[in-house]
Amino acid sequence: MLWLFALIAGVLFGLYYGLAALGLNLIFGVMRMVNLAHGDVIMLGGFAAVLLFDHFGVNPLITVLLVIPPSLLVGYLTYYLLGRRVQRSRDPEMMSLVMFFGVSQVIEAVAVIAFGNNEASITSAVFGTRPFSIAGQGVPGAWLVSAGVGLVALVLLFLYLYRTSLGRATRAIMSSPDEARAVGVNPDRISALTFGIGVGLAAIAGILSLFMIGGTTPSEGVDLTVTAFAVIVLGGLGSPMGTFLGGIVFGLALMFTQTYAPVWSGFAPFAILLVIMLLRPTGLLGRTVRSV
Amino acid sequence: MSSVAQRLREGAGAVGRRPRRQMVGDVLLVVVPPAGFLVASLVYNNQLLLLTMMVYVALAQGLNVIFGFTGYLPFGYVGFFGAGAYGTALSVHFLHAPIALAVLLGGLAGLLVAALLSPLLRLTGAYFAIASLAAAEALYYLISNPQLTAVTNGPYGVNLASVYNSGAAYLAAVVLVGVAMLCVVWVRRSHFGMSLRAIRADPLAARLAGVNVVRARTFAWLISATLAGLAGAIYAWAVSVFYPEAVFDLSISVFAIVFALFGGVGTVLGPLLGAVILYGVYNYIGVSQPQDFQLIYGVLIVLIVLFLPNGLLSIRLRRLWRGR
Amino acid sequence: MLIPRTRTVGLAALSALLTVGLAACGAASTTASSGAPKDIVIGTLYSGSGSFANSSLPEFQGLKFWISQENAGGGVYVKAFNKKIPIKLVALNDQSSTTTATTEYEQLVTQDNINIFVPDFGSVLTLPAVTIAQEHHMLLFDQTATGSPLFTPGNQYIVLCDLPLSAIWPDPLAHFILAQHISRVAILYGANDFDATQAATVKSVLAQGGVTPVYYQAVPTATTSYGTLLHDIAATNPQAVLELGYASNDIPFLQAVQQGGYHFGMVATAFPGQEFTLIENAVGKAGLSYTYTYGVPPYIKFNNVSEGLGTNAFIAKFGHGNIANVSFENVAGYNTGLIIQAALGHATKFTQLGMRAALFALSGHFTTLDGAFKLNSEGGQVGELLPLAQLFPTATGNEIKIVYPSASADHAPVYPAP
Repeated sequence: MLWLFALIAGVLFGLYYGLAALGLNLIFGVMRMVNLAHGDVIMLGGFAAVLLFDHFGVNPLITVLLVIPPSLLVGYLTYYLLGRRVQRSRDPEMMSLVMFFGVSQVIEAVAVIAFGNNEASITSAVFGTRPFSIAGQGVPGAWLVSAGVGLVALVLLFLYLYRTSLGRATRAIMSSPDEARAVGVNPDRISALTFGIGVGLAAIAGILSLFMIGGTTPSEGVDLTVTAFAVIVLGGLGSPMGTFLGGIVFGLALMFTQTYAPVWSGFAPFAILLVIMLLRPTGLLGRTVRSV
Repeated sequence: MSSVAQRLREGAGAVGRRPRRQMVGDVLLVVVPPAGFLVASLVYNNQLLLLTMMVYVALAQGLNVIFGFTGYLPFGYVGFFGAGAYGTALSVHFLHAPIALAVLLGGLAGLLVAALLSPLLRLTGAYFAIASLAAAEALYYLISNPQLTAVTNGPYGVNLASVYNSGAAYLAAVVLVGVAMLCVVWVRRSHFGMSLRAIRADPLAARLAGVNVVRARTFAWLISATLAGLAGAIYAWAVSVFYPEAVFDLSISVFAIVFALFGGVGTVLGPLLGAVILYGVYNYIGVSQPQDFQLIYGVLIVLIVLFLPNGLLSIRLRRLWRGR
Repeated sequence: MLIPRTRTVGLAALSALLTVGLAACGAASTTASSGAPKDIVIGTLYSGSGSFANSSLPEFQGLKFWISQENAGGGVYVKAFNKKIPIKLVALNDQSSTTTATTEYEQLVTQDNINIFVPDFGSVLTLPAVTIAQEHHMLLFDQTATGSPLFTPGNQYIVLCDLPLSAIWPDPLAHFILAQHISRVAILYGANDFDATQAATVKSVLAQGGVTPVYYQAVPTATTSYGTLLHDIAATNPQAVLELGYASNDIPFLQAVQQGGYHFGMVATAFPGQEFTLIENAVGKAGLSYTYTYGVPPYIKFNNVSEGLGTNAFIAKFGHGNIANVSFENVAGYNTGLIIQAALGHATKFTQLGMRAALFALSGHFTTLDGAFKLNSEGGQVGELLPLAQLFPTATGNEIKIVYPSASADHAPVYPAP
């Protein structure tokens, strides 16, 4: 039953990838800014979990909650200190890319100074070393925990976007900033908050990444950013649900090639992304836009 | 958008104005940069640094052609660079091509990959950017795949020691800089360039005005990819032994994009200045402050964007506008 | 809009900038006189950040330790001038980027007037130095780059100092598998030169003993999730599972073995011997117990040495008496220094090829804390063999013991793992 395990693993990893990419999609959707430092925030989340666990024995699931307030603060500061200025440039989408490339370099350099270059991790025994049985397949507990956190984050984000006034304002800006401003939405406030939420989601994904991809190092940010970008584009920009669908497609592509042709497991997710993009140019659940 | 339209109008005005002085200026733009690099090699003998700088000039200008004039940002631009490097290597190994021909075939490899990927131009904005990145990653995993060792030598890398010639490779890079400048000057001045900018400003209006949108974009895409292919070919020749990850390194894309944007895309001089200054600063920090290399460079880039958010050439543009 | 005059001004400014910038880059370098130089300049690169930093920095520390030792004694002895000359170090940071490393190697060779050329850690970052060393006729004191494309018959300008060629590494490992009559072997390796070469060696040695692996697959070097791969490996019922990767692969692999609750008779990974503290911290004590790895110094001990400190003395001085403070990379960097010391101390002429000739004369008659120094005709290292080690749990953590070949073993192997 190799395929069944690949299916389960693909879906569970997909939910984790979805979570890891969600914040990037929100920030891009609301601010049209390309946060190239997204992967570095994920990395910092991982280090937060390792440090709290090593020094105070804090369970990583508690850290998931603990990182939220500082993330919001960092998001606010980043938006008001850096983001707002870039948003007023001629081409915010592209100049933000350059700026966050710089931010990403700074975060990596500071992380090296603060944490050293070594891979940091928490022993996987925290979530048990006996696999859980799902449909007769032994699945590591840590995968279930990560996927579960991803699902909870998705549900909460949905409630926020569709059931609160701030969330509605956020969606209004995502679909049309000018119209949103015209009806009295303060884009600065919403943008800062969204940046905070995006950072928080990335940090949470970082905590779980310790159990999904085996540890964190200051240099891992770039790869994570690339994967997160692939996932949000696959699912559709501006669509949180699509992000998770994109994550699952990415996860399934990875796990099925790992099972049947491991040597192609780097190639396949990107090749599938290309094929899907050619069939649906705005991603699986992206809104279709008029183009020439 | 309005500023784009405004620039378009001014650009159209410039074509009519002072044609002779402009021609002299254009010739200087094509001739002076390569000549500068020739002279530089006489006074400074870290030739690989200069060569890499020239490679980045070509990449930044190639990126300028597709991004600066059509608004399509290929994040996976390094894919063409790698294709050029491997095109050259395979030409030497299997066709026993003389190196000059092999370098041209490297450019051709970039062009062929771009032709294959031209359906991606149906995508827009970030979708295009990431799809091109996916294409570059897929190409890397294909070339470095152990199952293709017989063809590409897979993960074991390439050795071009048999054709190694550092002086000739340097001259080839000098020519490449001239070719890159020529391409951009031509795109900037020609009707083709005008139609590209019209498309960028308003694709629908451009189509109504009789511009073949798809063909124009595809053409820009092929020029851009060929420049990257040639850059990769010459770089491969100059370093002569390399693993696949060295020529598909994503940071090559990122550097080229950052250099072009810093100088100012859509201009002739911007990407050149961006690559020379930022890459020069990068190496200066690397040599003088190796301990804090990454930190200083990162802070510098953030500061540049904050205080010069529209690129280096915007300083002059702003002053000119104010003076008017 | 640009008008021609400003454009010309811009070009002039550009040329000026080029010249000024380059002059700044090329500032300050010592000139060698015809007699004995004022100091011996060693030029090297290290990765201050990025994926190779955790190996590169400890190696760089080892080299710096050797330099401080020599300088404390008045400098390194140079036979050609029959006196001790102080060492000066020029070190640049390549941040794990091959592109940056390439220009910086050229910088060392063309701007800094170095006498001794030492590349960064590992094959990926060393490879760009090979061409540059040849072009400028500098002998490359290759530290730990063991990949196949580095060594070619025509190239006189490279010697491998601190590790055997990667094709030789797994020889004892494969023979151990045959000696234990293990017939079901699964091999998972990274799709890069370093790991693929090792996998090919294991496969061919096993084939000589009539064993065909039940699972033999490559995965991209960037692989970090091993759960599904392990599930498929387990489905082939292997007695031994070999994962040949970098430390960044070994860690998630060993974690996945634990997470999935797998139990195999033998699990072997490449790096726990070389980066023991790092990997034990990451995967925990239980994750490493009874697994196998390459046995490297300081776990193989050489106290009877012809140059420099022996293993115990090195642990005492560098590691303040605690072996946990000493990694293989520390030994490797220090050993590079010892090879340089031997080259300078025996070469009758202070030239690059003079140093090479001295090292070839010493080859086979020379031992350091890294083992027996022996070169093949291409400058590749064929001494300094890596025996097989196994990790045994103690009260506080794990202990690395050499278990095969029996001649150098200090502990009996425990197979199958309990």
